[in-house]
Amino acid sequence: MTEFLEAANTSPVGGSAAVSTALAEELLGLVQAVEGVHSVYPAQPLWQSIAGAALAAVTGEKLPLIGLVETGDTLAVKVRIGVSASHPAPAVTRKAAGAIRRHLLPRAAVVEISVVQLGS
Amino acid sequence: MTGSPAAQHQLDLVPDALLAGRAADGDTAAFEALARRHGPLMRATARRLTGSLADADDVVQETLVQAWKQMDTLREPAAVKGWLLRILGSRSIDHLRKRRNHVDLDHVESPRDDSPRTGTQDPENNAVNASRVEALKAALAALPEEQRRCWVLKEFNDQSYEEIALTLNISPASVRGRLARARITLARTMEEWR
Amino acid sequence: MNTPNDTLDCGHSLADLSAYLDTGQIDDPAHLERCPECQAALASLRNLSQLGGDLLRSDVADAGSGNDDWMQSILDNLRLELRPGRSIPLQAEHPDDTLWESEGAVSALIRSVADALPGTAAGKCRLQGEVTIMGAPITVEVEVAVVYGHPMEERAAALRDELARTLATQTELNIQTINITVTDVLEPPAPVQPTDTPATTDPLNTEDQP
Repeated sequence: MTEFLEAANTSPVGGSAAVSTALAEELLGLVQAVEGVHSVYPAQPLWQSIAGAALAAVTGEKLPLIGLVETGDTLAVKVRIGVSASHPAPAVTRKAAGAIRRHLLPRAAVVEISVVQLGS
Repeated sequence: MTGSPAAQHQLDLVPDALLAGRAADGDTAAFEALARRHGPLMRATARRLTGSLADADDVVQETLVQAWKQMDTLREPAAVKGWLLRILGSRSIDHLRKRRNHVDLDHVESPRDDSPRTGTQDPENNAVNASRVEALKAALAALPEEQRRCWVLKEFNDQSYEEIALTLNISPASVRGRLARARITLARTMEEWR
Repeated sequence: MNTPNDTLDCGHSLADLSAYLDTGQIDDPAHLERCPECQAALASLRNLSQLGGDLLRSDVADAGSGNDDWMQSILDNLRLELRPGRSIPLQAEHPDDTLWESEGAVSALIRSVADALPGTAAGKCRLQGEVTIMGAPITVEVEVAVVYGHPMEERAAALRDELARTLATQTELNIQTINITVTDVLEPPAPVQPTDTPATTDPLNTEDQP
């Protein structure tokens, strides 16, 4: 997450990590509640954050599952999900994106969702 | 990828070289079959190198991530086991180094081991081999770290002096010397114990 | 090995004997043959090496099987990361939404379909074509291994139908062709084979599976 923020050269939501974390938790609950979503994976792939993971293991910190980056007035949301076989993944993904967008209103959002696991 | 039991068993029949070739082509099921096949030896080795089972699992995971990313650099598919073990050795050493940057030295300097320390007590009663193995665990844990690494990489993974030297970033001559010191200490301890 | 230091009375060093154990080479092999001190030290080192082998076997047994939970959880973590491949776009309802499926997820889906058919195991799997462009024509190439005795033509046809159905539901790829190539015939397992998963003692002959 830190790397994500630094790479985008922007500041965390609301200027404070605590607000960002709370919002990320809200969005996580929202996405998990979408029918057909069976998992939410860390927004940052594992191997890019192995050093971070080692640090997190020591400090007991959890890696954030939802990536949030604020650019100007717009909030960029990044999510990686797994979809179960019993649901069509494209529709599930659109539903999740819609849920995030509505939740953030009236704020403008750029939502990116990747399906990284299908059908299990 | 969901790996039905049937499919796992089918891949269990396929030799290393074939699996490694397929894994290099991007076949994740083949790669997973390799991981399952050699996982126990990797875990056992990482445990003796790092001193704990929890660290061992982290190291095995990091090893498999690296192996997958570098699969196309494996020149001899039949030698995939030794290749995995060499990555594992390097990751184990790195893992300890990283940990050491974060936590107090005392916690990692001497390897933790949940097995009881049989030591030298009651030799008559401990003539069975199982307790000799326990005694060896304790003696191994008491070795200086570099000596223990040399011994584990040699005896568990059958690596050459040159391979061990590369992993530990020391000269082959140092490997020869440390391995000898480790063996002498262990052999003496075991003879006293008997 | 009760010598107080590292050089035996005969003048040979224990380090030389240790190296001899690994390489079979030593400066003075004739001396080694007839020196009782060297022989005793060598025997001691060999005993240790044997005990090291016992420790290794015991540790590997303690590590558990590669089919146990510990390995499963490692593999679950890895699955996400194993070469995610290209990003395949999905239609979005809002212009500021970017929705993808990873090529790795689609390949894994294809393999799981092939693996679920009795008597086949998936090998290489490729999506040919510009998957990053929505609607571009795509050819699916799947290689499978078939267990000896299973009818190949029939297996390939069944797999093709199942893949077409699954991919139409789970992706928005414009699939033109599904090519299935049988690349290997696997030997069935020996009749008496120790297995650690008793529920699937004969996994290769599950013809009656739904």
